[in-house]
Amino acid sequence: MARIQLENISKAFGKVQALDGISLDVKDKEFFVLFGPAGAGKTTILNCIAGIVMPEEGVVKFDDQIMNLTDSAHRNVAMVFENYALYPQMTVYDNMASALRSKLYKADESVIKERIQWAAKIMKMENLLERLPSQLSNGQKQRVAMGRALVRNPNVFLMDEPLAHLDAKLRNSMRTELKEMQANLGSTCIYVTHDFMEAMALGDRIAIIKEGKIVQIGNGDAIYYMPCNEFTAQLMGDPEINLIEAEITGTGNPYSVQFRIKDEQIVLELPEDNGVYAKIRELGLKKIHVGIRPQNVKYSFEPKEGYFKASVYSYESIGNKSVIVADCGDVFHNQLRMIAPNGLNVAIDSDVYIHLQLDHAIFFDPESRKYIVRYDEAAYIALAAAQEER
Amino acid sequence: MHSRKQRGLNILMNVLLIIYAVFALFPLLWMVLISFKSDTEVFTTTFIFHPTLSNYREVLLRSDYLRYIIDSVIVSGGAVLVSIIVGVPAAYALARYNFPRKEELAFQILSYKFAPEILVVLPLFMIYQKLGLYDSYLGLIWVYQLISLPLLIWVVRGYFEDISVEIEYAAQVDGYSWYQIFFKMLVPLIKPGLVSSALLAFIFAWNCFTFPLILSSNKVYPVTVAIMKYLGTDSAHYGQLAVASTVSALPAMIFALCIQKHLVRGLSFGAVKG
Repeated sequence: MARIQLENISKAFGKVQALDGISLDVKDKEFFVLFGPAGAGKTTILNCIAGIVMPEEGVVKFDDQIMNLTDSAHRNVAMVFENYALYPQMTVYDNMASALRSKLYKADESVIKERIQWAAKIMKMENLLERLPSQLSNGQKQRVAMGRALVRNPNVFLMDEPLAHLDAKLRNSMRTELKEMQANLGSTCIYVTHDFMEAMALGDRIAIIKEGKIVQIGNGDAIYYMPCNEFTAQLMGDPEINLIEAEITGTGNPYSVQFRIKDEQIVLELPEDNGVYAKIRELGLKKIHVGIRPQNVKYSFEPKEGYFKASVYSYESIGNKSVIVADCGDVFHNQLRMIAPNGLNVAIDSDVYIHLQLDHAIFFDPESRKYIVRYDEAAYIALAAAQEER
Repeated sequence: MHSRKQRGLNILMNVLLIIYAVFALFPLLWMVLISFKSDTEVFTTTFIFHPTLSNYREVLLRSDYLRYIIDSVIVSGGAVLVSIIVGVPAAYALARYNFPRKEELAFQILSYKFAPEILVVLPLFMIYQKLGLYDSYLGLIWVYQLISLPLLIWVVRGYFEDISVEIEYAAQVDGYSWYQIFFKMLVPLIKPGLVSSALLAFIFAWNCFTFPLILSSNKVYPVTVAIMKYLGTDSAHYGQLAVASTVSALPAMIFALCIQKHLVRGLSFGAVKG
């Protein structure tokens, strides 16, 4: 087990800058998640740590030891590849045993057998051991690839979307299993995903990657409640956060936000909050982007005090709840998303009345799109700090 | 109605195939028949004659025919061996690495097969004379690379391309060195392609006539050229000629039959889907 540090790693493939000055410090025994959209460079970071890809600049350190010139065989890392990379000519058992049969990590056959039985049990694939990879489904292959990594005792586990091809039920149980296992093994784990639920559930800390750069590093709560910019805010959370272009009016006693919904000027008073008011005054903010999570948008099908009118664009179920998308004006992409229970009788294009719980709002700068302030900031900083300690 | 039409088509197809098979195989059959005929009967009989083994005795026991066979084995086998040693790494490089003008190089290798042998053999003859490669095993093995190497490289390259590069990475991470990965992980995966293309290359080299005819004389005498010996200027021993041809065709036939399954599979799909 080791502490993994990357210092200012850059890597280009031809003209494409895959990584641009990546610096990470993954603590020993930490479960570290790399999260970002496709093509952000997450896999390349793993490859740099594994020694498969040589960074053009920067240093890779394991426990303060520079590893740049160590080949991947000697780095003692276990990696789960996104496309499984199973050896097609070997049975599942031999696949899993391969690392422990290599000269470097040699173990007794009896030890190997024990480890494989253990890993197979966790991965729920005891009955697959004699099969060839070509006889497995994608989900099963993925589990074998995981198992092949788990039988080892490496410096670090590198996992590249190891649950992506499992069916939903198995994925959930694996997620729980994985977290617990990692805690028990006391191993460092770097985990790549583009599923924010996975990132939130598994990661001690999460790094948001975009176009080869790190956008934000922090624990799940910090990133979810205090995203450093709109990109992160949009990435974390499903359905996506609502962003409204608004103007700040008023003298500070109180302040209001003003925006348009379908030719109608809406003026909403900002609830009193010392942090928010101080920031507005300090920066002399005029224009602002208001971010509101869908669960903080309330709806009604009858006109109500403090609700403004919009029309229903769509209503779809996402499992145990549904999302209403309303057609609006100044909102990004003209759409406002809100959470509703299942089974409502909602007609498309019918009127819906919306209330924004502004006391949960996050404010962003409309120019730089960076985080400015949010309601109850101090409480959320404390929450994030508490998660850090756990 | 439909099925009757289908059956009619089937019968027609089979009849046509049989006609083609007879057409294609008849020369072979004729060759075998002649090999059992005495010289006097070659021109006077067709299917009814007095079978004799005298031709076989004459060719196999009383001439240097076995030496010629051994020469052919050495030259063809050597050529294939060199092709494997040179071609597999070349195929790997062409499949895995990116370097300037890679496709042009690959195409150039393939283009060695395009030119008719007769076109290149005369300049080669003069070069070989100068280099002292004329009439030597090495010289023939070398020139046979024109036949066997492109075939092997192109087939094996396809196999390497089908192996996802992550398999190599995975093996690296598992603690294997490059050579171990190559022999333990990659060679088993390219084996079908390697075996079939090597055997095909062997057959091509075995059957090659123009190169040994011009580039060798007494010291190295592959069987294809040796057959000509039985065709003298004053007399033609067709019976012995037929024996020599029959025997020289045997290895190729045996190989082809043994690897028939691999041959079609190995050359048609390079499927190593993980």
